[in-house]
Amino acid sequence: MKARLRLVALGTALLALAAACGGDEAVDTEEAAQATGPIDIWYSDNPEEITWGKQAVEAWNADHPDEEVTGEKIPAGETSEEVIGAAIAAGNTPCLVFNTAPAAVPQFEKQGGLVALDDFPGAAEYIEGRSGDVAEQYKSPDGNYYQMPWKANPVMIFYNKKVFEKAGLDSENPPLATYDEFLQTAQTVIDKGGVEAAIWPAPSSEFFQSWFDYYPLFIAATDGQTALVEDGQAQFTSAEGIAVAEDFWAPMYEQGLAKRETYNGDAFADEKSAMAIVGPWAIAVYGEAIEWGVAPVPTADGISPEQTYTFSDEKSIGMYSACENRGTAWGFLKFATSKANDGKLLELTGQMPLRPDLTSTYADYFKKNPEYEVFADQAERTVEVPVVPNSIEMWQEFRDAYSSSVIFGKESPDEALTTAGKTIESLISEE
Amino acid sequence: MAKAATAPTTSRRIKLLGKHPIGIPFVAPYVAFLIVVFAYPLGLALYMSFHDYFFAAPGAIVERPFIGVDNYTQVLGDPVFRTALFNVVKFVIINVPLTVALALVLATALNRAIPFRTFFRASYYVPYVTASVAVVGIWLWLFAGDGLVNTILGPLAPDPPWLVNEAWALPIIALLVTWKQLGFYVLLYLAALQNVPNELYEAAKVDGAGAVRSFFAVTVPGVRSATTLVVILATIVGANFFTEPYLLTGGGGPNNASISPVLMMYREGIEQGNAGYAAAIGVILAIGVMTISLLNRYVLERD
Amino acid sequence: MSASVAAEDRSAAEDRRAEDRPPPRAQTGWGRYAALAGLTAGAVLFLFPFYYMIIGALQKSPNTDISGAFPQPGNLTFDNFVDINRAINLAGTLLSSVIFTGGVILATLVLGLLAGYALAQLEFRGKQLVFNAMLLLLIIPFMLLMIPLYVMIVRSYGLEDNYLGMILPFAVNPTAVFIFRQFFMQVPQDLFDSARIDGASELQILTKIAVPLAKPAILTAMIVTFIGPWNEFLWPFLITKQADMQPLAVALGSFISNVAGSVANPFGAILAGATVLAVPAVLAFLALQRHFVQSNLGSGVKG
Repeated sequence: MKARLRLVALGTALLALAAACGGDEAVDTEEAAQATGPIDIWYSDNPEEITWGKQAVEAWNADHPDEEVTGEKIPAGETSEEVIGAAIAAGNTPCLVFNTAPAAVPQFEKQGGLVALDDFPGAAEYIEGRSGDVAEQYKSPDGNYYQMPWKANPVMIFYNKKVFEKAGLDSENPPLATYDEFLQTAQTVIDKGGVEAAIWPAPSSEFFQSWFDYYPLFIAATDGQTALVEDGQAQFTSAEGIAVAEDFWAPMYEQGLAKRETYNGDAFADEKSAMAIVGPWAIAVYGEAIEWGVAPVPTADGISPEQTYTFSDEKSIGMYSACENRGTAWGFLKFATSKANDGKLLELTGQMPLRPDLTSTYADYFKKNPEYEVFADQAERTVEVPVVPNSIEMWQEFRDAYSSSVIFGKESPDEALTTAGKTIESLISEE
Repeated sequence: MAKAATAPTTSRRIKLLGKHPIGIPFVAPYVAFLIVVFAYPLGLALYMSFHDYFFAAPGAIVERPFIGVDNYTQVLGDPVFRTALFNVVKFVIINVPLTVALALVLATALNRAIPFRTFFRASYYVPYVTASVAVVGIWLWLFAGDGLVNTILGPLAPDPPWLVNEAWALPIIALLVTWKQLGFYVLLYLAALQNVPNELYEAAKVDGAGAVRSFFAVTVPGVRSATTLVVILATIVGANFFTEPYLLTGGGGPNNASISPVLMMYREGIEQGNAGYAAAIGVILAIGVMTISLLNRYVLERD
Repeated sequence: MSASVAAEDRSAAEDRRAEDRPPPRAQTGWGRYAALAGLTAGAVLFLFPFYYMIIGALQKSPNTDISGAFPQPGNLTFDNFVDINRAINLAGTLLSSVIFTGGVILATLVLGLLAGYALAQLEFRGKQLVFNAMLLLLIIPFMLLMIPLYVMIVRSYGLEDNYLGMILPFAVNPTAVFIFRQFFMQVPQDLFDSARIDGASELQILTKIAVPLAKPAILTAMIVTFIGPWNEFLWPFLITKQADMQPLAVALGSFISNVAGSVANPFGAILAGATVLAVPAVLAFLALQRHFVQSNLGSGVKG
């Protein structure tokens, strides 16, 4: 006992010692905003984006020998936010990360890890000029942009044409518009289509899973007018929000049309499920192997596809405060989001740069790749995750309530979501 | 036991440095390692648990106020934490006795002159070295609704299936960990068995003891310090389980039925940025395990 | 010299312990067959995941049905190994794993043995404190310390993208120290005391008596020390930003999170990677295992 007390004392003494010598100075923001010189950046780690990143870095370096950019793929995966979070604390983030999740931005901002892009003259104009009205969604509560909205993967319903045909359904215009139609179709493909599940979103408890089951339908149900929360109020407790849970997803799980088990792999690619909710990045994956069709996410009354909103699954570019040569970083950021480089991004990855009028701006591309056009069109009508304090905690809270009520039917979705709404309102009002 | 004095030493020196002062330089490098690598993170963890703490960028001006025991009271009042703690208890109750019994019996069997001894020893060790990713993939497949286990069980299969069944998810994880770690504990017991003097077995035989009686009369007491080790290590592993609920039950599901304190720490501290809250979970967990370990040691090592 | 005195004493002690030791408890009759049958059933249960991993690694397209557990002639290929080698540099990452793991084992053996011996056999001031510190370290969830450790090692020690930084938190495996202590405690005390009377130094006693007698335990400790860094994912992942320094487990982990679309059979490629990761571990065990048996016999043979 005494020995342990002494140990604690020793530890505390050492802590004080370490804390005393751990005072690094911050970068002088005004000076840094002007500074130019070599910088490091991270881009995402999928092969398509690596290709894009490499060519952008090469092109820049050819013209800027004194401001060399070194690109590295992000140490990645489900844990990329953790890596960035830890690197912020250690002060060794690169200047730019071309894979910053908007949901993590409030946390990085709180850590003091992000540079407000408004430090650079004309930044807000540049961002809004490029992305139009959607840019507003990426502003932090203090009115600054701590992220540059970059590219979206608007999610839609992919379906397997072969399975639909086998089930005797119209594979060009399958009945998927309303909740009732969708449930009916789901039942049919299970009965006759030879699949285990009609649709198989991950039923697991990670905070981000709701982005690919509940949230797109919620956005469609509210005509894109609101995010999960708005002005400190939970929006998912509205009649439309509850209906998505009660009238759509809960029956899906209850009737066994969606599975409560995690699939080890990609259920749609392995033809275990007839449908999937994904964005255009998946075309490259499913393209050859599966004959797929695409439909907008369903709504209660089946509003027309031209009016259906969805979740953007967007990734931003963040500039991190460990960056010294911020002048160069800002220059490269603008370079990488230029019209030409956005075109390259589209061409190499099939993901949608966050620009209005994609189809007219890159008309040639869409003529050659017509299957992407529907996503370009959908990209005009997207909603983001809200930029609020404790954003990830909020999503986890939501996921837990959703999981126990909708997926596992332990309580009524109405009650569970209403309770979660109260908790979430107090979470996002904390600072 | 009469310990022979090593060399004539003054009682004063013994009082100051102990009977074998040479022990101090022996442990010094290890102690240096502990201080250089762990004192600061450990101290910081304690400090964090009393603050509204999060990790900030160097030089960032942030507010991380002292909040006393708020984190602790919040953790203790958190129903999820109570579930997680209760899960540890359940886990340990399943895992530890099973581990000790199976490992000791297997080790005893493997210590005999049996054919293919090398093969057998190696096969029990295999799950221990196989990467979690591969192991978890196999269990997902085995315990899926239409997996091998349910196919064999037929109408007896639980509904909903194992990994999404609130009653079964945690026991399945406990079994998985027992199975994966068992090889290591078998090795520990095998090592311990080498030091049980053979004449004790001879004596037991002379007394007319059969295999079972000599197992309980000779083997079990003979490997007691290894049993302490196994119990403590298995308890620690049990209290720290994380990878399995993270990968196998989709983040502690269904409905937090298989959540663990370390998984909560991961969610709170690393995903959600509540480092202070996570630290409080860690400290409470560590105190609990420390208490159990010391208790174990006291019970198992007393003469 | 006193070392030879100690050695003589050791063989004398062994005479006492293992006089005409018969082969480890020869078995007769049905008990032996029952044991053999039980062991065989157990071995199948334990070998299955390994087998399944290899089968999965050889499949052209993933077959998660029960038939997938058996080799299908039409569905076999080595492409997965080729694919994984193209995606991650197997040779380079394996080398990195070897450096990381080797460093940890070396440090654990040198520093850990000294500490374990001192904690078991020597009386000195602060011993209890060191033991409790070790136990504490064993108990504290690594998750709690990880980010503070990372911040310290990168910010204060500047060891990012450096093998030293990768090795440091794992350098002396506390489980191994604990194992050393437990087994040195089990060695009969009079062996040490008589060596001390003969004037052997503690270092000589450690290397000439304690280590040879506790060899099976040391090998077990080496295995546990080996497996930690070999399969560790999170820490080396944090500390290495350059892909060419990453150990295989990290490269494989990163590969798993972004395989979609890059290879024909992602699941097969993952299992192929897991196979490459597991095989050296099994081989290392088999290599050590020989010494296991030898030391067993060695202590049984006279003089």
